[in-house]
Amino acid sequence: MTGRGIRRGRARGISLVFPTPLSFLGGVDVRTGRISDPECEAEGRSVRGKVLCFPFGRGSTVGSYVIYQLKLDGKAPKAIVNSSAEPIVATGAIMSDIPMVDGVNLSLMRDGDAIAVDGSDGTVDLLDVEERHVVTGILRRRGKILLLQRSDDVGSYQGCWAGISGYIESGEADAEAVRREIEEEVGLKGLRMVRRVEPQSFRHGTVVWTVHPFLFDAGGERIRTDWEHANSAWIKPEELARYDTVPGLGTVVGKLLRRPIP
Amino acid sequence: MHLTSEEERALSGEQGRGRQKAMELLTALGDIFGAERLISIGSAQVSGASFKTIGEAGIRWLEEMSSDARTSVPAMVNPLGLDVRRWRSMGVGEEFHTRQMRIVKAYGAMGLEPVYSCTPYLAGRRPRRGQHVAWAESSATVFANSVVGARTNREGGPSALAAAIVGKTPEYGLHLEENRQPKVAIELRSVDSEMTPLAGFLAGRIAGNRIPMITGRRLSADEHKAFGAAMAATGAVSMYVPDPDGKRDRRQEQEIEERVTLGPDDVIRCSEDLRGADDWDLVAVGCPHCSSRELRSMASRLRRRRPSGDQDVWFCTSRRAFALCPDAIKVLRRFGKVLCDTCMVVSPIEELYGATATNSGKAMVYLPTLGHQRTSFLTTSELLEAISRK
Repeated sequence: MTGRGIRRGRARGISLVFPTPLSFLGGVDVRTGRISDPECEAEGRSVRGKVLCFPFGRGSTVGSYVIYQLKLDGKAPKAIVNSSAEPIVATGAIMSDIPMVDGVNLSLMRDGDAIAVDGSDGTVDLLDVEERHVVTGILRRRGKILLLQRSDDVGSYQGCWAGISGYIESGEADAEAVRREIEEEVGLKGLRMVRRVEPQSFRHGTVVWTVHPFLFDAGGERIRTDWEHANSAWIKPEELARYDTVPGLGTVVGKLLRRPIP
Repeated sequence: MHLTSEEERALSGEQGRGRQKAMELLTALGDIFGAERLISIGSAQVSGASFKTIGEAGIRWLEEMSSDARTSVPAMVNPLGLDVRRWRSMGVGEEFHTRQMRIVKAYGAMGLEPVYSCTPYLAGRRPRRGQHVAWAESSATVFANSVVGARTNREGGPSALAAAIVGKTPEYGLHLEENRQPKVAIELRSVDSEMTPLAGFLAGRIAGNRIPMITGRRLSADEHKAFGAAMAATGAVSMYVPDPDGKRDRRQEQEIEERVTLGPDDVIRCSEDLRGADDWDLVAVGCPHCSSRELRSMASRLRRRRPSGDQDVWFCTSRRAFALCPDAIKVLRRFGKVLCDTCMVVSPIEELYGATATNSGKAMVYLPTLGHQRTSFLTTSELLEAISRK
């Protein structure tokens, strides 16, 4: 993942990830290096030697000195990853020579991940996680969208509902891949593309799925599913919650239709 | 952020480790706040000077920086935890003194001036109108922006030190004209001079993070000092726009989204709320540090009176103001201690006293938390009355 370098330097370690802002003054016990904020789900756990991942710092500016004290005592994190850095933690990281990156998607990180942080390049690598790029094409007709249920013969997410999806093959542009998949999976060609949106990434186990979403208008033609799919259904977008879907499908559909999907 | 080749060299470590760290701090903060470049500053004022606030980690950080970093613009320091000359009579312990003096030594080695005051604008370092500076003390920042017309963000201790070393600060926030527009108008209606600290206390709450325009009353320099300090303590804003004569331009007028009036009833109610019990063991004035005018004024009111009550009294001031009025100091010393370099907010007051009476709106915010004090707000006249008799 590419973010923004806040403090240069490289470090590798095991992550400690939590979704709440952290005040180092009062939120971390400077004697033990353990998180002492009762509002934090990582309360009681040590930051020592960890790649500490949380949204951003809060609280008193004395928090910068707390980070420095942890460093002096050998209890500091090895690296810090924030979704958006603020001055207290950034100052503490620079005072203490702790590599720090911000601007990355924290939802892709799990507690206990092996992580390499490069504060000079502004990158965060999840060492045991594989990123897979796939396209998802959503077909739209008279206010309904097409869902396909993945068959038992496919390699992943058997039985789950999805859009028309597949891997981007090497050397292939994502816009080509989605048209190829539409032709292979439902037998339609030359559909009008309504829009595409930024790729969306979702974490599932040790895989980050980076989905390239596309929206197409489908005409009146019948669709013909191939071996990859057990069933198909035209549904209203708000019915999506009733279906057991592949990860992030609601987000993808919401971005494509430009409205929140419950 | 765009850096010049000179700045790149400092960042690469070519000019030493301390300067490199300083550049790292400035560029990271510039990136966080979306600054496009660094701009030169006329002076810096660094907070984080009392051992009480920065602790052992602060000493080590300053000692590390002082091994090779030097300031490149005039730079001053916020109050310490003690009076460098009279710390024993303050009651400060040996251990605190030893640690505090390590901080003083580190700042001195880096070339900061031994001016330990929250009122650098009274200590010969008044910026020019429109000049960019990097000051950290909240009350000094608000005075520089609002009264002097200089431009500064409210820096943190490390970022102000970094600015002092590099001589530059990232251009964002209050350095940019578009961020200096008032959004709320607060009219001071018939607010007595001695109540201006409370008017500031209330104005900060109303303003929140919006710059207020202050109308209805022309404040003296000392009133500005007390008003702005309290406003910056209760609010999250480092600037107001004084407009006593209603000369605001139409553009500013259009930006105003709320109008509030503070009248005598509001400040009296506030003073009643902040009155507290009458069992204080310390009376403390000088937050922000007393000007020489304030020292003289108090001395002239006490000159023909005698000390009364069994409380201690602290008059906190800057060494410069102290030097300007030796006769006043002589009078005030009959009633209590005249302390330089320090104040009630950053000294280890909790080891000496349990309850403090003060005329400072700012101290009313920080004494209960930072100083673990029970507090009472009294006007200057009430305090002088309490510590003296005919």
